[in-house]
Amino acid sequence: MLNNLYLVGVGGQGVIRLGQIITAYAMEEGQKVKFFKQIGMAQRGGAVHCEVRISDAFSSRIPPYSADVVAALEMSEALKAAEFIKPGGTVILNKSKVYPIDIMINPETYPTLQKMEEVFKKLKAMLISIDAANIALQIGLPIAENIVMLGAVSFVSSFKKELMIEVLKKNIPHEIKKNTDAFLEGYRTAEGLLI
Amino acid sequence: MKKLLTGNEAIAEGAMAAGVEVVAGYPGTPSTEVILSLMAKRKELDFHIEWSINEKVAFEIAAGAAWAGKRALVTMKMSGLNVASDSIANVAYSGCTGGLVIFVADDPGVHAGMAEQDSRYYARSMIVPMLDVASQQECLDYVKAAFDISEKIQGPVLLRSTTDISHTASDVEISKKMTIEKRETYFKHDITKYTKAGAALCMAQHRDALDRLAESLKIGDSYITESGIKVNETHFANTKYGVIYSGAVEGTLREVLRRFPIEISWLKIGLVHPLPEDRIKEFLKTVDRLLVLEELEPLIETEVMRLAFQIGKKVEIMGKLDKTLSLIGDYSFTDIKKGLEALYQKKFAIENNQEIIKDTKKLQVKRPISFCTGCPHRGTYYALNKAIKNLRYKKDEIIITGDIGCTILGMNKPFESCWTEVAMGASIGMAQGFKWAGIKKPVVATIGDSTFFHAGIPPLINAVYQKVPLAVIILDNGWTAMTGFEENPGTIYLNETDTKRVDLVNICQGCGVDKINIIDPYNPEESIKVIEEAIEYPGVSVVISRRECALQAKRRRVKLNKFKVDISKCTGCRICLNQLACPAMIFHPKTEHSKAFMEITTDCFGCGLCQYTCPTGAIEVIEDVE
Repeated sequence: MLNNLYLVGVGGQGVIRLGQIITAYAMEEGQKVKFFKQIGMAQRGGAVHCEVRISDAFSSRIPPYSADVVAALEMSEALKAAEFIKPGGTVILNKSKVYPIDIMINPETYPTLQKMEEVFKKLKAMLISIDAANIALQIGLPIAENIVMLGAVSFVSSFKKELMIEVLKKNIPHEIKKNTDAFLEGYRTAEGLLI
Repeated sequence: MKKLLTGNEAIAEGAMAAGVEVVAGYPGTPSTEVILSLMAKRKELDFHIEWSINEKVAFEIAAGAAWAGKRALVTMKMSGLNVASDSIANVAYSGCTGGLVIFVADDPGVHAGMAEQDSRYYARSMIVPMLDVASQQECLDYVKAAFDISEKIQGPVLLRSTTDISHTASDVEISKKMTIEKRETYFKHDITKYTKAGAALCMAQHRDALDRLAESLKIGDSYITESGIKVNETHFANTKYGVIYSGAVEGTLREVLRRFPIEISWLKIGLVHPLPEDRIKEFLKTVDRLLVLEELEPLIETEVMRLAFQIGKKVEIMGKLDKTLSLIGDYSFTDIKKGLEALYQKKFAIENNQEIIKDTKKLQVKRPISFCTGCPHRGTYYALNKAIKNLRYKKDEIIITGDIGCTILGMNKPFESCWTEVAMGASIGMAQGFKWAGIKKPVVATIGDSTFFHAGIPPLINAVYQKVPLAVIILDNGWTAMTGFEENPGTIYLNETDTKRVDLVNICQGCGVDKINIIDPYNPEESIKVIEEAIEYPGVSVVISRRECALQAKRRRVKLNKFKVDISKCTGCRICLNQLACPAMIFHPKTEHSKAFMEITTDCFGCGLCQYTCPTGAIEVIEDVE
């Protein structure tokens, strides 16, 4: 069955890497896959997003109201995926916030978690939020926020845990123990929130 | 065997499988990754790959190789096609003996910030056949098809892609590696074919070019690729409704038709020039209502109308000319759904949350792009703004022309220095026009190193020759950075033995510039002084602001002293943030428990500019790096 994943964040958070690993997993499973990445301004503090479509997609772009999963590595960026989430789909929020200058000066203009929950409730989507930064910090690999999110996405999308760990090792061949832990902790956290 | 490839990677793969022997190009989004992915395999490939100085030169290199019998590929973005067009139009008259494929990537929807130019019109004006890809598989297959057609007709072939195809990865069927037959190197001395001496010769060549075009249709219309894709394909359904489409819209069209299953006849066009007129006429006879789907200009739509008129068939045609669809942007699911709704004169229901979505748009956080942490351009624009202020000019009195690449980000906050962005090298040419128009105050042009090599040298010579007082600042970060850090003739940070580095100072001297200075943008004090002098100089002055791109320097493990904030001295005035907007800075507003203060994160690269801006001396070095 078609599985559409819409991944958002800001430059430097590893959004594209997250998409690449999911794409590699789908290939490993022998599935058809399309992977669109919006690149160019990623390293320059801009918003970045990518789309992974597993199985029988014709186009690389997810149609409106069709994403099974929206994963936001930066909390407010999830709003930019609002028109793509499917009713009944799952939104996974990382609580990490990255402020551009305007928001640094007026932090109260940054949308609250409560406001985000309201929006996605109206769109009939399920929302879970994860403190991936804290989890990654506990594990001792602060950069691995995206891998914690990979764990959460994997649980929500019913990806095979063992196979994903193999793919993860192949794609990030260093700090294997810590990355695997980050993945598993993300997986468990999502499981705990949804069951 | 299946492999995950982006459209551009698939083109590189196809070129290798087709036995290409010379590849040249100039970086430009969304075309860059074709050569980038070949460059990565450079050591194992026994053919020549290069980043040329500009697209025209790159094309001439490929054309020369193809005139000597080889299969050659040149790559560029649509803006680059403008640059190369002079040579392409003339080579198209002569034809070639080897295979010559010109890859151009268009950018409908402007993912990379330039004009939404439709390159398909070049195919018509230059009399060159053009294939337009609709999928990543076609990228691979059509390169081979393009070389086949090129060799058979003995003329160049254009291959066009768009961002959506070029930048998306998909599973692509790779054919087994075949043994590639190397072409013999031979160039025949034949001035009737290879020169343009006289009207008779040129018109004979014009005729040859038209013959080759006709021949390309015979081959292309019925061409079936190795993986079984028909370049042009017609499907008749039991209905009077039809769609004619081309390019990247294919995937989205199928997506819409899956959601709203309807009977529809379709005609897919992969060879967009010359158009398969007989095939289109045959299709027109079977439909009463027709939707034409193509991004950007109504090239096919206009021709379809002409052909309907020619055969006297009354068909309602929907597309851009009747304003059903837009001339602007790439087509989304919603656009194509709208086209089909017009065709069927009914609405296809879809979940409608427009109001909620509109609300979320208001909540979204805007993220304007600025320079990266440690970017040397930050120092240059900071110094330029300071110099203008020190010379007692108001900010809106001094015109600063900008150019293509990372350097144009100087137009954004907090610098807001650049006033214009036109085309490669245009900053230096436009600046002279402002002077001749009577602008009395100084005019400054800013341009990157690669952009200067590409097209900045002729306007600089022109300024010297015409004695135009002008300050040109070349922001020399050593790389063609915006498109993904390609090398250029001035890249001094490589240990290449097979290329010779060319120094900007020597070039400027050779152009006749009398006043040339080199500054380090990490040294604001000196930079401000030198730029002040350059602005006041009565002739042409060049300032070369030299410091390696910070991202590349990081990759090469260059380490500098990092900085931190001494909170006891920081007053939270935000001068550093307001003047530099460095992504490594975080402002902490006043709370119940603490005063307002700045923080510099571990992302700091160590340019040290913030220390220079701090009025209270609160920013200090933390690490000593040898």
